[in-house]
Amino acid sequence: MPNTHREIQELLADYAVALRDGCLPAFLKSLTREEAKRIRGSSDFWEATEVVRLMNSAGFGDKVVTPDVGLFISRVDAGIASRLKKAGASTRAHRPSRMNLR
Amino acid sequence: MDKRLRNVLNQLTAPDTELRRRAMEPFVRATFPVFIRHLHRYLGNEVECEDVLEDVYADIWENPEHLRHVESEGHLLKTVYLYYMRKRLREVYRRMNRRSSLSQSDLQNLVAPELGLCDLISQAELKQLLHKMVGKLKARERKAIVMWMEGMSNRAIANELKTTVGAVKMLEFRTILKLRRMLKEYCGEQGEED
Repeated sequence: MPNTHREIQELLADYAVALRDGCLPAFLKSLTREEAKRIRGSSDFWEATEVVRLMNSAGFGDKVVTPDVGLFISRVDAGIASRLKKAGASTRAHRPSRMNLR
Repeated sequence: MDKRLRNVLNQLTAPDTELRRRAMEPFVRATFPVFIRHLHRYLGNEVECEDVLEDVYADIWENPEHLRHVESEGHLLKTVYLYYMRKRLREVYRRMNRRSSLSQSDLQNLVAPELGLCDLISQAELKQLLHKMVGKLKARERKAIVMWMEGMSNRAIANELKTTVGAVKMLEFRTILKLRRMLKEYCGEQGEED
């Protein structure tokens, strides 16, 4: 059974592990109201999260570099094309029709 | 700033949408490794990092105004983080807030915070700096942090240090706060030098 009365050092350790393992949503969902309150009131926790992020970056940041940037670029371009299409469609939708002008 | 990146940025802030679209490829190639490493700090998940970054680049294409006066690569990263990445990071987690006990502002501070200490230094510099700081720790503190950064679980670290998981968590917490004090001093010294 998960511990629902975690002390601040336990909350930080769990946050650090969640960030390192890429499962931050699970950590966020696991927080009880009492724990959320504890986090809010602890300046140590907030200061420590800064360092945890840096440690995460220094230790594991290099593994994120995608081998195929070309593929990623085509995804970005497809996103842009979709936005262009949407913008075109909304412009057409807002343009008054000839029927109305008459 | 690199001359090529400067030229790409000029094209990227042009009013012509097609010119901006063509400039995206060299822009992504030049910035992708830096941006994705930076995002990884907040997400820790490479698939999510790519998804968020995809939207970030499309947002930049759509509204590149904030990049008009960028002067250096550090300034570029700062601008992109503050004006584009944070917005997207917040969106990723906003949906989950219904099930989270954290307040909206605490959630934002946790997943998409203000830039903190040493947040804009390069990856190589960061590694060097942390290596130096970890070297100044006591043996037990150093061991715990090094093992954690190697990807070991707290239970495995506790076994290695012949102690309990609770004691390891406390040791890590105190050591991380110690590292923060060191980083703060370092940043203060850097500020004075500048």
